[in-house]
Amino acid sequence: MRRRLRRAILALAAVAPAGALAAADPQANYMLHCMGCHVADGSGSPGRVPSVRQSLPVLSASAAGRRFLVQVPGAAQSPLSDLELAQVLSWMIRNLSDWRVSSDFRDFSAEEVARYRKTPLVDVRGTRAQLLAAPAGRN
Amino acid sequence: MGACLAAAAALAARAQLPAEPLSAEQLASQASPHWIWVNDINFFSMPDGQAFLVDGDSGRMLGMLSTGYSFNSLILPKSSDVIYSPESYYSRGTRGTRTDVITLYDTKHLQPLSEIVIPPKRSSNMPMSAAAALTDDERFLVVYNFTPAQSVSIVDVRARKFMGEIDTAGCALVYPTGPRTFFSVCGDGAMLLVTLGEDGKLANRVRSPVLFDAMRDPLTEKAVRVGDTWYFASFQGTVYPIHATARGVELAAKWPLVSADEQAQGWRSGGLQHLAVHRPSGRLFAIMHRGGLETHKDPGTDVWVYDLTTRKRVQQISTKHKSGSIAVSQDDKPLLFTCFIESNVLDIYDAISGRYLRSVESLGQTPTVMVTP
Amino acid sequence: MNRIDAMVESVARDMARRVSRRRLLGSLGALLFGAATLPLLPVARGAPAGTPAGGTAADPGDPKTCEYWRHCAIDGFLCSCCGGSIHSCPPGTEPSAITWVGTCHNPGDGRDYIVSYNDCCGKASCGRCLCNRNENDKPLYMPFAANDYNWCAGSQVGIAYNCSTSRIVGVSK
Repeated sequence: MRRRLRRAILALAAVAPAGALAAADPQANYMLHCMGCHVADGSGSPGRVPSVRQSLPVLSASAAGRRFLVQVPGAAQSPLSDLELAQVLSWMIRNLSDWRVSSDFRDFSAEEVARYRKTPLVDVRGTRAQLLAAPAGRN
Repeated sequence: MGACLAAAAALAARAQLPAEPLSAEQLASQASPHWIWVNDINFFSMPDGQAFLVDGDSGRMLGMLSTGYSFNSLILPKSSDVIYSPESYYSRGTRGTRTDVITLYDTKHLQPLSEIVIPPKRSSNMPMSAAAALTDDERFLVVYNFTPAQSVSIVDVRARKFMGEIDTAGCALVYPTGPRTFFSVCGDGAMLLVTLGEDGKLANRVRSPVLFDAMRDPLTEKAVRVGDTWYFASFQGTVYPIHATARGVELAAKWPLVSADEQAQGWRSGGLQHLAVHRPSGRLFAIMHRGGLETHKDPGTDVWVYDLTTRKRVQQISTKHKSGSIAVSQDDKPLLFTCFIESNVLDIYDAISGRYLRSVESLGQTPTVMVTP
Repeated sequence: MNRIDAMVESVARDMARRVSRRRLLGSLGALLFGAATLPLLPVARGAPAGTPAGGTAADPGDPKTCEYWRHCAIDGFLCSCCGGSIHSCPPGTEPSAITWVGTCHNPGDGRDYIVSYNDCCGKASCGRCLCNRNENDKPLYMPFAANDYNWCAGSQVGIAYNCSTSRIVGVSK
């Protein structure tokens, strides 16, 4: 029920006048800080920016994956506050995934983001490949 | 009548001008320290990148190179008689297959000697010196890539071979610090320190602590180097000396380019190549202008000179025209060169006295960054 | 240099024809974002495609001039002068979906708008209406806010840069 309500609200926002989105809105923050490379629906650009639509639901399902999503430099180094980043990542997972995320998925918290964010990843490609190749699991 | 005949006879008595051979000039084998290369991205016609060689003493153009699409800058090694040029070409000018190469030109004939193919990922951006650089032993050329994934291509210029690509996610550009080390600047204010192995492959890659506040007062990319120290300037006009050590890099004491009053009046450094150094005398040159924070790339008609030891301003030079780029020769009677991307005039000054010497007109289309041999 | 876009408009028109409004609104998932370059924008029901920008109380100024409010951090040739418009590319150029996104203040309605500077790629420089402003622009190591990149790097056709758009994608505070 809550998910449907949230979708309805967001759908209303889609047709509301431009002034309806406030700065703290995760979608506005996505536009400002992420959309430039990931594009509006997260599908990226073939050969240039990988799509996140299939990796988001996978990575959101494990602790290591959640950590990756915060530590990837585009997230870790963004000007967003810990809370704003937590909200944007949660919004992305719930709205840009190709399939519905698990009902176990809990939104990111500012505290969690702050904890991981201090150490941006250096080997992004290797870590991502490892996480996406690993069998789905809690860790 | 008699006078006309006499005049005609006098003319005929002069020896006739000889026939002339046709040849191509070649440059002196020893570059003068007062030579300057002016790179030109040719923004209105980008497939036709160029670089112009000028003799600063005579103001004569000595020659040029044609250097392809979105041209950044030539790289001049101290130790040899070649010029390296990272270049990009499309098979049909603006479309088709893209090929990126490092072209090697010989310094005497300014002709291509060979080329090394690299991944077609070289970053296309407003030119800056840090887009590609040689390691200190001049064996490896490191080229910054942006696709928008960030990485560097490593080229062994002695073996003339592409060695591989190293990911530098979140970090940009190339600032060499040693024979096998360089750093890139990261978006959170840290530096990514990269060490190459003997084979040019990645040996170590680690982030430094955060050294500056990237959101509140970012550093411009246009740092200049003296010995072990890279001097960066921030948007607000603070000099950040980044010192290379065995441990990596350290931030030495920061100091301001402007006094509090000057800052209140909006004095700041701006331009495409807004900093230069004269290493023998330890002086830093900065193009200055007055404007708001959003004018951090704007040109100026002032060049302020600082002593790097005392960190005090020692001189103010007025430039004849708006300057967006400056360079200084590294000899003991240095010249100061200035140009601006919206004009194709190169101005030349005595770098010690600040006295204007001469201009070179009609030099390129949109000159960008300059480099001395 | 930051550049991108134009196919967005034609895709938007295409989507409007093919997809019912209810479906369009019903999900923020794959359907709505099916075309890679289609933005989900609150302004979707704003100005119909083809309405010229500028020259109104709510959107003052002339998009063909560098002073136009949306060009506050543009770096390149204005597509409005090149056969395109404020949010469309000239014929035969490819809108690059990858770009950087900034914020400009609209003096007409007092709001700060999120502006996407999509480049148009695949042809030589247009050469008209060159404009470079740098409000909130950041260095190359902060790509999300760096207008010094040739953002045609993100296009499929390559880095040949033609011109830049200044496309509204949302509102900031």
